[in-house]
Amino acid sequence: MRIGTKEERNEVFEALKDILRSADDRNPEAVENSTEETNLVTDLGLSSVSMLYLVIVMEDTFGIRFDDIGVQDFGTVGDVIDYIINKKGA
Amino acid sequence: MGTEQTENREKGKRHPDVKKTPALSLRHFPYDFIKWTAVPPALLMVRPKKIYMSKEAKKLIRGGAMLISNHVGFMDPVYLMTAILYRRHHYVCIKDFFERKVVGFFFRIFQCIPIDREHFSTESFRIIVDRMRAGELVVMFPEGRINFETNATESFKSGMVLMAVRAGVPIVPVYVQKREKWYRRVRVAIGEPVDVKAMYAEKPTFSRIEEIASVLHETEEKLKNICETGGTSES
Repeated sequence: MRIGTKEERNEVFEALKDILRSADDRNPEAVENSTEETNLVTDLGLSSVSMLYLVIVMEDTFGIRFDDIGVQDFGTVGDVIDYIINKKGA
Repeated sequence: MGTEQTENREKGKRHPDVKKTPALSLRHFPYDFIKWTAVPPALLMVRPKKIYMSKEAKKLIRGGAMLISNHVGFMDPVYLMTAILYRRHHYVCIKDFFERKVVGFFFRIFQCIPIDREHFSTESFRIIVDRMRAGELVVMFPEGRINFETNATESFKSGMVLMAVRAGVPIVPVYVQKREKWYRRVRVAIGEPVDVKAMYAEKPTFSRIEEIASVLHETEEKLKNICETGGTSES
């Protein structure tokens, strides 16, 4: 069950895509074609270091602080959006 | 920001976010007490032969920094500590070691930083970055394991680059030669500090992070050759 309104999710999704566009120069097509169901590891090819990098940039962009979670805890782009919306609302 | 940091380094100044660790403090008393008690026998046993890559490498490592080294045995931290005696070293170690009684006790005294290799968390990353920003010298073995088999260095994991970029500190590559005989002096080659943040600005891309890790690995190979052939300057 996804959380947040459609507009809210779209806004976060676009911001997330922007972050990926500037950081992931290895796989621009996969980033452009990504959806909420896109898997971070198998589809985007993110490693634990890339995920860590994303966490840092997301914290700066959205003004949130990620909990002590493992960077492997996110499966899809949608999971990340859920987490961000949840954190912003908290 | 990158240019400013380079200028600061040239002038011998620290990055604005990086503080200086006090020479004497109550928090570090157990560390300093055990270290300086163990130094005389350790120096007699190790007798480190320091080989510097260049004149720049000979300069003292000041303020927050990350030291990276190859890992060929359990004694490597002792060799590194005797080679760079003037700094407190804080090793990044696998969490499991902290659960062992004796080893865990010493790891806590030496304020090592536990990480979970299988499930690396954001909290471990933050601790390492904060410690370097607080002016501490954090030591990592980027091969990720002890290489008992060969003298060749394995490829480096790139997480350390991200940590150094985030903390705004330089990475100092060091090579420790495998000690074949217990009575031989330990040769340690020390490289120039690499200003990773200045190299690729605030937000490097994923492939650039990998690139820096490869450059550091190449430097490590050069240090290995210097160690085996003699190098430019020794002490």
